Amino acid sequence: MLKRIWTIFIRDLTVNMREFMTLYMIIIPLVLAVGINFLSPSINDTSVNLALIENENPEQAAYFDDFANVELFSDEQKVEDRVMSRDSVAGILPKDNGYYIMTQGNEPESVLEYAKLLNVLYEADVQLEDARSEIIEFGRTVPPLKKMLVNMLLLLISMLAGMLIAMNILEEKVDQTVSAINVTPTSRSAFILGKSLTGMAVALFSSIACLLITGFYNVNLGQAALVVFSSTILSLLIGFIQGLNSDDVMEAAGSVKLMFLPMAGSIAGYEFVTGNWQIFFYWSPFYWAYKANDMILSKSGTWPQLILFIGIILAICGAVYALLAPRIARKLQ
Amino acid sequence: MIKVEGLYYSYSNDDNFAVKDVSFEVAEGEIFGFLGPSGAGKSTTQGILTGLLQLQKGNASVAGYDIKNISRKMFNKIGMSFEQSNVYSKMTAKENLSFYSKLFDVETRDPIELINLVGLGGKENIKTGEFSKGMKHRLTFARSMINNPSMWFLDEPTTGLDPAIAADIKDIIKEHNNKGVTVFLTTHNMFIADELCDRVAFIVDGVIKLIDSPKILKLQYGKKLVEVEYVQDGNVKKETFSTIMQKDKDLLNQIIADKEILTMHTKEATLEEIFIKVTGRGLV
Repeated sequence: MLKRIWTIFIRDLTVNMREFMTLYMIIIPLVLAVGINFLSPSINDTSVNLALIENENPEQAAYFDDFANVELFSDEQKVEDRVMSRDSVAGILPKDNGYYIMTQGNEPESVLEYAKLLNVLYEADVQLEDARSEIIEFGRTVPPLKKMLVNMLLLLISMLAGMLIAMNILEEKVDQTVSAINVTPTSRSAFILGKSLTGMAVALFSSIACLLITGFYNVNLGQAALVVFSSTILSLLIGFIQGLNSDDVMEAAGSVKLMFLPMAGSIAGYEFVTGNWQIFFYWSPFYWAYKANDMILSKSGTWPQLILFIGIILAICGAVYALLAPRIARKLQ
Repeated sequence: MIKVEGLYYSYSNDDNFAVKDVSFEVAEGEIFGFLGPSGAGKSTTQGILTGLLQLQKGNASVAGYDIKNISRKMFNKIGMSFEQSNVYSKMTAKENLSFYSKLFDVETRDPIELINLVGLGGKENIKTGEFSKGMKHRLTFARSMINNPSMWFLDEPTTGLDPAIAADIKDIIKEHNNKGVTVFLTTHNMFIADELCDRVAFIVDGVIKLIDSPKILKLQYGKKLVEVEYVQDGNVKKETFSTIMQKDKDLLNQIIADKEILTMHTKEATLEEIFIKVTGRGLV
């Protein structure tokens, strides 16, 4: 049986690597992971950028340089141009006898407050020797935005695995090859497992690769793999049934895409809804997967907690399987 | 090799049977033709015997395996060539056969040898999506031999093939049968059945009307006459002679000896004519 499962898996993987659409599904999570690295800052990359006029007040520029990234420009217009660029930069320009802070308006409040504070400290001639500071850690070892994006990417990967299954089943349906498999010693369970293995392997590989690409190599990869495994089961089931029900690629892709709705709802629910209302998302395995991933990415969870979340996901998937299994078996006959 | 008793099958799970009280046996090494028009129940019967359809009522065994509790091991012994080509269009001919060969537990044949056998040599590395309908059909036929089956189910094996290729396929079937392979041939092509089958069954509306060998059927239903077209005094004449009456036999001998014969045909009935006579139905 294992030989046949492996044979089916290798066949699907070979064909998937040749086809543009399926190859895209395999590659796109890795591209997105690289994109997340570019778009979201690391925890250490929180310096404030300040734009000043060159030689207007060299002493001030030197003072600011100890606490922020200072960029110097020849005149006020050039400072303004720099402030208007996409990233967060505050300009500090002379006016009357003092200075004013020029912003584009979309900078984070912290950047503005930091620029104001630095200016005040300079004007009050506060030196480093006068300061007494204490580092307070809030338990965050990764930027929240990056953690959220990577968590969403992990759920997206499980969805793409489901789509991949739908494409592979659809190929069997269009070529009418299931009946040819049915007259070999391959059992239906071996066929289903072989097909599922492709989606599961791609999901696990992509998830681990994305975690490594985005710099989460210190998290427990075994725990992450377990959550990906459990959350992918549901996608695979949906992929199977949609592949069997669809007549062409667009229909299959469109049907599986409907799953994005509960997934997006679950993420929004977890991130934005207060604790008392989160009970309304307990039915969604994506909610539990997102919660478990959040725990793993922030390295804040325990094994019993994780096992509980995975247990809930598997129980929901089990219920969905009980509902869909007879239809899948009937369609495969 | 095949034993079927009182087989019934309904697609709607009611009394609207596609196959009704079908019983027959196929001996080892025999080529058994299952003939009938479209929708007669040929494919349904074959579907049940190959496990593609669930046995609902009756008994059936294939290659010693009970179809009621079908064992996957049975498929190591049987080969199945489908009427509708069903190969992976995104894989090459060779990849298709290599993939299927890995699904069996028995020794399998070399894909290239089979590809050459069905006249697709040189096309082994082309994706089957680029194949013509006939080429796909030949590959489907080749695939059914991959596990050296002792029981071979062939569903319309020559449909859509040009006469030369169809003749090659017939030769391959004969050759395998000579090696002891039992063949269950489903077709509505009476010429193929006549040429290949040891026995044929006529099935119409899910009911078997008759089972016998083509030779006996022809003797039973044909006319013992010869039609001769010959030249006499510069004119073409056409006459029919009995092959039983001595007077006609003598006359025929004389014409053959003295005249220029243009055409001569026995008035033996074709299987198609017998089918229509027995069932009252055509084959289309």
